[in-house]
Amino acid sequence: MAAFQRWLEETLGSADTVAALMQTQWAWPIAESVHFIGLTLLFGSIAAWDLRLLGIAKGVPIAAFHRLVPLSVLGFTLNAATGSLFLMTFPDQYIYNPAFHLKVLFLGLAGANVLVFYAITYRHVNMQRPDTSIPLRARVAGVASLICWTAVIILGRLITFYRPNNCQPDEAIAFLSRCFP
Amino acid sequence: MAGPVLMLDPVFVWLESTALSRWMVESPSVFAFPLVLALHTIGLALLVGLNVALDFRILGVAPHIPVTAFRRFLPVMWAGFWLNAVSGVLLLVAYPTKALTNPVFYLKLGLIGAATAILLAVRRRLLSERMPSSGPGPVKLLAMASLGCWAGAIIAGRLLAYTYSRLTATGFH
Repeated sequence: MAAFQRWLEETLGSADTVAALMQTQWAWPIAESVHFIGLTLLFGSIAAWDLRLLGIAKGVPIAAFHRLVPLSVLGFTLNAATGSLFLMTFPDQYIYNPAFHLKVLFLGLAGANVLVFYAITYRHVNMQRPDTSIPLRARVAGVASLICWTAVIILGRLITFYRPNNCQPDEAIAFLSRCFP
Repeated sequence: MAGPVLMLDPVFVWLESTALSRWMVESPSVFAFPLVLALHTIGLALLVGLNVALDFRILGVAPHIPVTAFRRFLPVMWAGFWLNAVSGVLLLVAYPTKALTNPVFYLKLGLIGAATAILLAVRRRLLSERMPSSGPGPVKLLAMASLGCWAGAIIAGRLLAYTYSRLTATGFH
């Protein structure tokens, strides 16, 4: 893990032009604003879908809610892009930050949840008919999604409170460790 | 802005001396300032996220969802609103001078007020079934204004961290 973290820091940190641009006066606040706007696009469309899986507005076929996916994709793309800018500017502040580690973990879980839904659960859900009972596994997917994305937001906000410091003699770079070399 | 705000300095000094303000600012616990800030973002995601989904639906995205189905999401949106009213007051009590001496803070409040008024106007239409399923009309203008106000409120909120002139009433910042 430590070797991977060091490699990632080196690789992301080599984007000098991006880092210089991001450190001009208004670049960082603008990128942050876009990151928050992306968050609302992503979370809102996904929450509406999750709540539908949990039985809210069940008079509407699930397929109708599926058409909100482009908003999720737009929000995710905005946030992946702006998030990459943050990482390329101060890689060490994220790569050795336990809040960021957990944020990435929950992003991964949210992604896995989507993959499982499309690979397996999808076939057991009647997408076209309103008012049909929703299988337990689909409801679990909805709850898991809400929990994962809420955790991603909370952990993202906590990054600034878990900024890493130089490693002490008894510390080492690792997952959930809070120091850099 | 400087005159009336300076008059409020004794109020800021008092607010910043309260136990609640001291706890928010000085507590090393992650459940103090950090969690309140995180909850403020969760409330944002719930209220603005679902409102943005509703706005885009009114503008023609996901046309097979009846607009009136968004009625069911209103309680979730209001939960987000109240979560942010409470967490917002806590953040304000933590740093009253920082926010109230910054014109951007008033801009943010104004934009939130406008966006909330728009949501109430859209809600009246949702509840009265007078909502056209699509097609141009004043509802679409409301949806566009809603998107603009929320985007502006988010940007203003982010800028609060970069545009303040005084951090506390007694400190030098």
